[in-house]
Amino acid sequence: MALLDVDDICKSFGNFKAVDKVSFKVEPGKIYGLLGPNGAGKTTTIRMIMNILIPDSGTISLFGEPIGDKTKSKIGYLPEERGIFQKMKVRELLTFFTELHGLPATRGKQLAYEWLEKLELSEWADKKVEELSKGMQQKLQFASTILHNPELVILDEPFSGLDPVNVNLIKDIMLEIKSSGKTIIFSTHMMEAAEKLCDDILMIQKGVKVLDGPINQIREQYGKNSLRLEYSVDVQYIQKSKAVKSIHDYPNSAEIELHDGFTPNELLTDLLPNIKIHSLLSRQSSLNEIFLQLAGGNDNE
Amino acid sequence: MNKIWALIKREYKETVFKKSFIFITLLTPLLMIAMGVVPSLIMQLKSEDVVKTNVIDHTGYIFNDLEKALNDTLSTGEKQFNLVKVPTKTMHSEDLLNSQKKLIQDNSIDALVVIPANVSDSGKVNFFAMSVSDYVLNKSFRNAIGKIVIDRRIKKSGLDPDIIQELSRPLVMTTTKITKQGEESETGFQSEYFSTFILIMILYMTLIMYGSTIMRSIIQEKSSRIIEVLLGSTNPFQLMAGKIIGHGSVGMTQYIIWALFGIAMVLYGGNVLPISTKYFNFQPGIFIYFVIFYLLGYLFYSALFTAIGSIVNTDQEAQQLIFPVIMFLIVPLMMLGMLVKSPNSSIITIMSMIPFFSPIMMFGRINISNPPFIEIAGSILILIFSTIAVIWIVSKIFRVGILMYGKRPTFPEIIKWFSYK
Repeated sequence: MALLDVDDICKSFGNFKAVDKVSFKVEPGKIYGLLGPNGAGKTTTIRMIMNILIPDSGTISLFGEPIGDKTKSKIGYLPEERGIFQKMKVRELLTFFTELHGLPATRGKQLAYEWLEKLELSEWADKKVEELSKGMQQKLQFASTILHNPELVILDEPFSGLDPVNVNLIKDIMLEIKSSGKTIIFSTHMMEAAEKLCDDILMIQKGVKVLDGPINQIREQYGKNSLRLEYSVDVQYIQKSKAVKSIHDYPNSAEIELHDGFTPNELLTDLLPNIKIHSLLSRQSSLNEIFLQLAGGNDNE
Repeated sequence: MNKIWALIKREYKETVFKKSFIFITLLTPLLMIAMGVVPSLIMQLKSEDVVKTNVIDHTGYIFNDLEKALNDTLSTGEKQFNLVKVPTKTMHSEDLLNSQKKLIQDNSIDALVVIPANVSDSGKVNFFAMSVSDYVLNKSFRNAIGKIVIDRRIKKSGLDPDIIQELSRPLVMTTTKITKQGEESETGFQSEYFSTFILIMILYMTLIMYGSTIMRSIIQEKSSRIIEVLLGSTNPFQLMAGKIIGHGSVGMTQYIIWALFGIAMVLYGGNVLPISTKYFNFQPGIFIYFVIFYLLGYLFYSALFTAIGSIVNTDQEAQQLIFPVIMFLIVPLMMLGMLVKSPNSSIITIMSMIPFFSPIMMFGRINISNPPFIEIAGSILILIFSTIAVIWIVSKIFRVGILMYGKRPTFPEIIKWFSYK
């Protein structure tokens, strides 16, 4: 059974359709990417999963149970716009959030202790949050969203506004959550990040689903079999090869797309006797290209 | 429920342990003491000095009576007025006056009283001193000499001064309030007005103070982007309840500290400090109404402030919007004179039914005039129902407003929020 089942949800603000008939399923134990440019409806979708916004129509269920205040305690949610109580003491902050996640205060103290150990922040336990560095605050913020050990972790643009060190920090934590068997949904407009982390993805644009499914399948289905070739002499030899489907010719180099079922080896066999090859690069289409190809690409930033 | 509790605890701890809160809570009673004690202390300090006074008595008969009349003693048992009669025959009166004035300049004496021979007809005496603004000192001399002169005049006309005094004894009026329950309480008009005024001011100040604290704390959590993090595990209604109840309990804490302090002052303060408690006239019934109207007024107004906090993004934007809310609180204050004068007039009665004004107006009326119970109950019920309605409306605004950043929404836009699911 799917962990999360989003069925045909719509949400409008006045005349603006933020999300229009979007459906998808998230399988347990996976990292699920919610991709699309800014303003595509990712945050609205996530807020509906979090029951912060109520869909105009359609249903969302978690473990087969309709979404509501009760399901919130099974989710750890890190919004895109995330602040932290600067004036609270580190330990109190963690205890406060465990209580907010519905656990008793005594359990909160214990969890706060465990997490401070884990994050190597024990010596900061009685300091105020504002005294911590940005990186430590990020860790603390993350801890406060997941310390109740939720089945599902939802991260809205977790990398926005972070330096590379903190981006890596968060990626590490995400992989750790995944390896403990939990499920992650995260939204991003950075396709490259999604490409590396996700098992499954959903692409939306202007509130409408573009496609969804396992990332490998999507690549196979929509990715082009393309090569980049640097060469001297005549482009005609390339065009004559049976393997070539299309070609973008630049001075001394070419972007070549092969017919299905052909490999670069066959192209090379045709070319080797005739032209001088400087370099050959085989490349799969990036998610970004697939997105552009499917969404028309007019509105990508 | 546990989540609301966690939110209340956090809100409470954060506010109560703030330096500004501790400061205000402790400073206010000190200020109250200062206001009660300092004037009487100053009075006492002034009168601790012996007033050395020379008297030039051209009549020859007033000095002895004056010395008898000015018999006030200091706390040390010493006489407050040290009067010395200046011989008048030795010198020309002009020179005598100048030499005596010189003594004042040299600080050898504090004051000089010159009584002309014709005082009985002219009714004029002269008083010289370095500081002539001491009201008590001036009054003592004026009254004492005045009485001697008047007695003299009466005697001259052949009447007995004691009989005249007996006949011209001023009237004393005792004010007694008759309440509906048939109780009578003997209070001065001043004390009646004073305690009502104090309680109404407390109502007014705290409604504004705690309301705007809630508003600022929402604006701050909005601008530091904490709200949505909290919404990850709570719902907007829980957030709102946490805020309102949290700050409400902070207010209660402050009240209890002040009330304990006040009770201690009333019970024991008199022994240590020269403080006057005769103006405080609080009955238990009044206290219960105070709590009821405070709580309801707080819920009503804090909900309004909550709405403002959730709509705006900055304190500056909020300033424009709180103006009408504060106006609603100021109107009853401006009507206070009318309330005291005619507490059961139709306009005051109507205003004490309108939820915006009723916390102050109805409470004021109960203090002053004992309105019919049906009116009190009606006012409270209307306030309860409108508070529930306001909280319901505000919760609709709040849940949309707290996630809105950027341009402040217009009124029609806010109305549209109600249709959001």
